[in-house]
Amino acid sequence: MTQAETDLEAYRNILQQAIEDGAPAAGVQMAQEALSAGLSPLAFFRGVIEPVLTDIGERFSRLEIFLPELMRAGMVVKAIQAQVLEPAIRAAGGQNFSEGTVVIGTAQGDIHDIGKNMVALMLQVNGFRVVDLGTNINPKAFIEAARRENADIIAMSSLLTPSMPYIRDTVQLAEGLGLRGRFLLIAGGAPVTRAWAESIGLDGFGEDAVEAVEVCRRLMANRRAAPTHPSL
Amino acid sequence: MQSNWLIEIMKRAQTGPFMKENEFDLLLAKRIKALVKQYGIQYDPNNLVPADDGLADRVFQAALDLFVDVGVYCQTTERCIRFSRDEVLALVAQARSEIVLGTGKDAVVMRHRGVEDPQRAVMHSGPTGTPCTERYHPLILLSCAQEPLVDCLGAGSVSTYFGAKILPGSPLEILGSRRDAGVAREAVRMAGRPGMHINDVAVSLTCAGKMAALDPAAGLRPSDGFLVSQMVELKTDFDQLSRVAALYNYGGVIVDLMTPLIGGVGGAAPGTAVVSVADHLLGVVLYDADYHMFSLTHLHYVNNTDPLGIWVQAVVGQALARNTPIVALNDIYVVSGPGTKELLYECAVGAIVGTVCGFNMQGAGTTGGFRADHTTGLEARFIAEVSRASLSLSRADAAGWAQALLPRYQETLTNPNRGKPFPEVYDVETVQPKEEWLAMYHAVKDELAGLGLKFGNP
Repeated sequence: MTQAETDLEAYRNILQQAIEDGAPAAGVQMAQEALSAGLSPLAFFRGVIEPVLTDIGERFSRLEIFLPELMRAGMVVKAIQAQVLEPAIRAAGGQNFSEGTVVIGTAQGDIHDIGKNMVALMLQVNGFRVVDLGTNINPKAFIEAARRENADIIAMSSLLTPSMPYIRDTVQLAEGLGLRGRFLLIAGGAPVTRAWAESIGLDGFGEDAVEAVEVCRRLMANRRAAPTHPSL
Repeated sequence: MQSNWLIEIMKRAQTGPFMKENEFDLLLAKRIKALVKQYGIQYDPNNLVPADDGLADRVFQAALDLFVDVGVYCQTTERCIRFSRDEVLALVAQARSEIVLGTGKDAVVMRHRGVEDPQRAVMHSGPTGTPCTERYHPLILLSCAQEPLVDCLGAGSVSTYFGAKILPGSPLEILGSRRDAGVAREAVRMAGRPGMHINDVAVSLTCAGKMAALDPAAGLRPSDGFLVSQMVELKTDFDQLSRVAALYNYGGVIVDLMTPLIGGVGGAAPGTAVVSVADHLLGVVLYDADYHMFSLTHLHYVNNTDPLGIWVQAVVGQALARNTPIVALNDIYVVSGPGTKELLYECAVGAIVGTVCGFNMQGAGTTGGFRADHTTGLEARFIAEVSRASLSLSRADAAGWAQALLPRYQETLTNPNRGKPFPEVYDVETVQPKEEWLAMYHAVKDELAGLGLKFGNP
């Protein structure tokens, strides 16, 4: 194992402990040290945050851990994002978010935010401007925020199956308001499948945070190439 | 409840401490974890129906501590509504222990049930939790209402109005709500039971929609009821409290609906049990509920027949039965669908455990709510029969039944057999189960009888 790999493992262990203890300050301190040691925000995300959150997500899906653990993970990672990564991205000139604007949130009826936070962070470190609406977001709120922020993409997350109809409702509301050409709509989360996403007319589906970024990049590239939405 | 209590609740909802919702969730999770440890509440996968009065009482005390410490979150005002221990205990002591549901010869008295109580459980059915299409909704309701052992009917939910999607807060919600109330009223009339209690019209998601269903001539009467919901966990809003206000003046039955999540904010089974009992306290203190519908829901499977769910139901039922006078109703929620043996096994577990642990019965919510029209009256008949057959069982017996039945469906929880829709398992002309579904019902019933369940108890 190289020194860099050893360091990453040490950072991951500290992050896991911070999550277990519900101690955002410990996570923030570790992230500051990591970036001071030369890690870029993207490398930190991919080498530390993403593997830890992925492991937590998988353990949750097997119900080896429960929602409180996810909530603590979200709390710690959010603090790292706000206090360390975002300032670092801005300092590096990342405030010129040239990839596009994404309004993101967890669908109505669902308060889980770990997956949504991962996607938000991953989009951000990849150059998107991200407006995080939080959890339990109703269709109208998604649309209103997208209008207000002049967003390109509305990204919806769902961990609870009962919240899925609200993703469909958001698609239908955008259609009803004649806004499908203005906003691209994507979704992801444990119960969301590619087939279901296609069946309700979403523009994209992300299996995980990495794919979510790929989808957003592809959609934005298509949009730049052909500004009019294909459904119009 | 005194009428000025609602004024007091409103006052506290507008003056209680501000808190962001996710902060409330974190506070709740932290407090639950501490209380589970403090009271030594432990899940035992080898005994899903503990015969442990001390455990049941500790769960109640932990829930009482939780409710007093954390209170209720009002999503409208983003404030916590809090109550003193004395207030909570006084209101619990005053809570109804029985309620007359329905009218005339079709009326039933639903009572508080004790642990291993020999008095029969009142049986609610209908497509509650399973969506229906406009075409088959009336027949599904009739299939439930006509079952002799079914006492009360839930009108369920249809998501369209003459094919148009019903949006909450829209005119179609009003029309859909009035239609579904009328269809339910007609179903009980056609079943020859015009006075049967109707426990809700589920299509409406707003107070306005609910109120639209109130119509003594063609909709819901004061002898019927509405669900007043809690948002998970321990949350309410002005829309829900407005339903309480309206039902007070109308005289309708207030049904406290809670859907605590297995694996949710409560964490594992012990914490879920604690928050579930605290949810019932919310229903007593804020809603002055006439009865309480406990719709425990697994975070992933959307059912309550997995091992954790069975244990939580067993412990929550006993905690309420031993420490409160309230009328509790267990909503059996399963992953399987009609035309499958798995559905009947899941229903049997829910009926046995719930009956022995102090609940009245509601069911079945099928397919985790994923498949429209996948619900029939036959599984309601089966639940009622199994419940009656369980009246002489002990908690140890119920634990044995849970262990015996779980292997018959447990592997399908991750890959459920959703079965067939209503028209494939019922004759839509006669509204009677088709031979295949009926034969399956008889086969499972014979199987349970062979294992020692004594059907035919009065």
